[in-house]
Amino acid sequence: MYKIIIPTRYLVKRRITYFAVMAVALCVFIVLVVMTVMTGLVTDFKQKNHRFAGDCVVGTKSLVGFAYYEDFVQWLEGADFVEGVSPVIKSPALIRRRSSERNSRVEIMGVDPVRHSRATGFGDTLYYHKDDVSKAFRPAYDPNLPGCILGIDLELQRGARSTYAYQASPAQVGYSISCLPLTAKGALAQAGTDVIDTKTFHYSDNSHSGLPRVDGSIVYVPFEQAQQLCMAGSEKRASAIHIRFQPDITPEEGCRRVAALWQRFRREKAGAALAYLLENVTVQSWKGYRRESIAPMEQEQTVMGVMFGLVAITTVFIVLVVFYMIISHKSKDIGILKSIGVSDFDVIELFSGFAFLVGILGSSIGLSAGWVFLVKINRIEDWLFERFGFQLWDRTIYAIGDIPNRVEPEVLVAIFLSAVAACLAGALLPSWQAARQRPAETLQVNQL
Amino acid sequence: MLKLFLWLRYLRKKKIVFLSIAAVAVSVSLLVVVASLFTGFINAFERAAVEAIGDVVLYPPMRFAEYPLLIERLEQTETVEAATAMTLVPGLLHLGAGTGNVRPVEIWGIEPGRRAKVTGFKRFLLEQKDAPGEPTFDTPGAGEKTAGFVGIGVLGEPDEKTDEYDPAIAEEMIGTQVVLTTGTASQTEQGDAARPQFNRRVVPFTIADILHTGVHQFDEGCVYLPIEKLNRTLYPDDESPTAGQILIKLAGETETDVALAVIGGIWRSFVQDQLESDPYLLQYTKIDTAKELQRPYVAAYRKQMGILLLIFGVVSIGVILLIFCIFYMIVRLKQKDIAIIKSCGATSRSVAFVFVGFGACVGAAGSGVGAVLGYVITKNVNTIEDWIRVIFGLKLWRSSVYFFTKIPNEMDWLWTGRIVFLAIIAAAIGTLIPAIVAALTKPVETLRYE
Repeated sequence: MYKIIIPTRYLVKRRITYFAVMAVALCVFIVLVVMTVMTGLVTDFKQKNHRFAGDCVVGTKSLVGFAYYEDFVQWLEGADFVEGVSPVIKSPALIRRRSSERNSRVEIMGVDPVRHSRATGFGDTLYYHKDDVSKAFRPAYDPNLPGCILGIDLELQRGARSTYAYQASPAQVGYSISCLPLTAKGALAQAGTDVIDTKTFHYSDNSHSGLPRVDGSIVYVPFEQAQQLCMAGSEKRASAIHIRFQPDITPEEGCRRVAALWQRFRREKAGAALAYLLENVTVQSWKGYRRESIAPMEQEQTVMGVMFGLVAITTVFIVLVVFYMIISHKSKDIGILKSIGVSDFDVIELFSGFAFLVGILGSSIGLSAGWVFLVKINRIEDWLFERFGFQLWDRTIYAIGDIPNRVEPEVLVAIFLSAVAACLAGALLPSWQAARQRPAETLQVNQL
Repeated sequence: MLKLFLWLRYLRKKKIVFLSIAAVAVSVSLLVVVASLFTGFINAFERAAVEAIGDVVLYPPMRFAEYPLLIERLEQTETVEAATAMTLVPGLLHLGAGTGNVRPVEIWGIEPGRRAKVTGFKRFLLEQKDAPGEPTFDTPGAGEKTAGFVGIGVLGEPDEKTDEYDPAIAEEMIGTQVVLTTGTASQTEQGDAARPQFNRRVVPFTIADILHTGVHQFDEGCVYLPIEKLNRTLYPDDESPTAGQILIKLAGETETDVALAVIGGIWRSFVQDQLESDPYLLQYTKIDTAKELQRPYVAAYRKQMGILLLIFGVVSIGVILLIFCIFYMIVRLKQKDIAIIKSCGATSRSVAFVFVGFGACVGAAGSGVGAVLGYVITKNVNTIEDWIRVIFGLKLWRSSVYFFTKIPNEMDWLWTGRIVFLAIIAAAIGTLIPAIVAALTKPVETLRYE
């Protein structure tokens, strides 16, 4: 019983303990807010990348692409673990708005909108054809014209609140897109002629994936048209196949199965004329496929965590000092306890219990304050923006919507446990010193 | 003297004071490193723009003729040291038959000699950086063939682990012929039935040199050709030389506002004299400094820096609490010392000052150590990053993400001064309550026999 009464009494009576609680609360508050926002940004970014790529991508970096993709698509569609398959064409291109003289560099992506929406989250990124993706390449003003879907940042300006000024229907604009068709050998097709493979497409929709590099550089065109523009030769080729697995299949498991299937497919096609194009094809999970974008954010999150870990050492020291002080003032209490038979281990347990209380109280206060702050963080930012024009991130530069404020239970538990562990670590040395005190010395008359 | 004696004694006897010095040092070094790295990055960002495009850029809404005359007029003024023209068009570079290796690039039509005077162009060339004279596209034995420069990243990817390019591999490409495809638009018919026509222009050229600027955007996607050759290819019907932009280097001490006004005036008179007062050119031409063009990004980076410093600053409040706790403990344990001092005639104020002064000294020592630590970390940040890569396999800095091949490692002395000053104040604040407690000590009560 004394192991509860004494720590509680110290907690209430020794006001210096409040500072330890305050330090823990402050640290927990900051860590919760920063890690929640950071984790939210990283999670959101990952989700967007997952939505963009699907679960798995079979593809090559070579602009020549790879042949026999239709056969492999059939294999995949026959597999019970696959939900959607979408072959795509990717190629750099030059784009020019019809009324303009200037060309810009873009990447064109040839897709079948229905298939691509089944394999990825493509359909959800559209604005005008979200409900009927099959008509995504049909401009509302003339469905007979060949349409193109522009990455949103190519067409619209992002506003200060990360919103876009959409019109009721897409503007009637034509874009001429020019590509370099390559033969299966990697040579430029039609070399020597004056006219490049250029085709005019009409703005039919825009795609807002939330990924700045995608939204600012990709133009989607119908698969067949892209194939004509980029892949010369009689044998049809594609750049990649995006795949979505059945809900009960994890991406890792699905990718493993696709890789096995691909190896079998390659063996079967070993004697084919364009089999050499299959050599550079890789099977990657969405994370591997988008690694170059995701890895830096994950690393930044890790570095932030390490930096906060370093700063949080201060909290351990505060707890150490406070406990050292309390123990040095309570040597008589310890002497009396030990004189009535309390063991060294019990003394350590007593002060560890006290540290545990400090940790629980401090982290509870910090977590509660952090939670409230996070719930209101977007309203606070709105208020700051209205009054002072201040935003945490300039939304015209950073493609961030609301500040992520969803507290992840794992983050919450990890912070709570770390804070309590930090308190226990800080109290360890003073507790050990307390346990080593000898009642015969501390209770001497000249010490009283 | 007494104060100094007590400070030294407490420092010697109470080893825990070193803990507060260490805490201050860690916080200060962290803040110094954050501020320095951010400031270094921002400075490098601004510098990269100046090195790429000069001090001032004049960019009209469309290309214009007779640019040599404009350059001549600009260089006659005292505000302009040098000026050069450039044309910028996108293109696709085919690096070799059979490879399928086609890269989207920006084609910069430039005058290499003039450009070297306006920007830091020459020192980025692998072959010609140490050669005497102006850089040139002329290569021995090339004859009439077109030659060009390419960014080092156009020819290959950096090493996956180190994120560094191998100049030797790139240099092997010098003398190789590559093919650039670009084009211009034209109208096939007039009126409503007008259809745009893309006229393909193919420019085979020999790689004469390679640029390694250390800025990812330029290294990875730029190809440089002679401006006359590029313009002749793109616009064969033009009668006089045309340019898309004029890059300007200002003379030594010229004030930016004055320079912009002078350049604006010369441009207007040039358009009136030579370009038939084209209203489109007069109205929509922009004249900006390179720094002004980067301003929105720089403002965003500065804001991020401020927010990060604020977050770490708030966390550093813990250090004040730590100092408070340590000093409170000292005061409680040394009440008899304080009472004796007071009984010898010391005033409450001087007793309080013993502790506040000691706190400030702790802050000064801690922040001094922190500043040195921050300096060492900042200056060696690239080595540290490399060690992290070797030990943990974690490549923290990639030029494709953070623009530059190396982490800018300049010390920000202004922010260091501010942080050190605030740390000393914070340490003194941390000792304030313990000092008041010490000052309120009553010697009669403390020194009572019972």
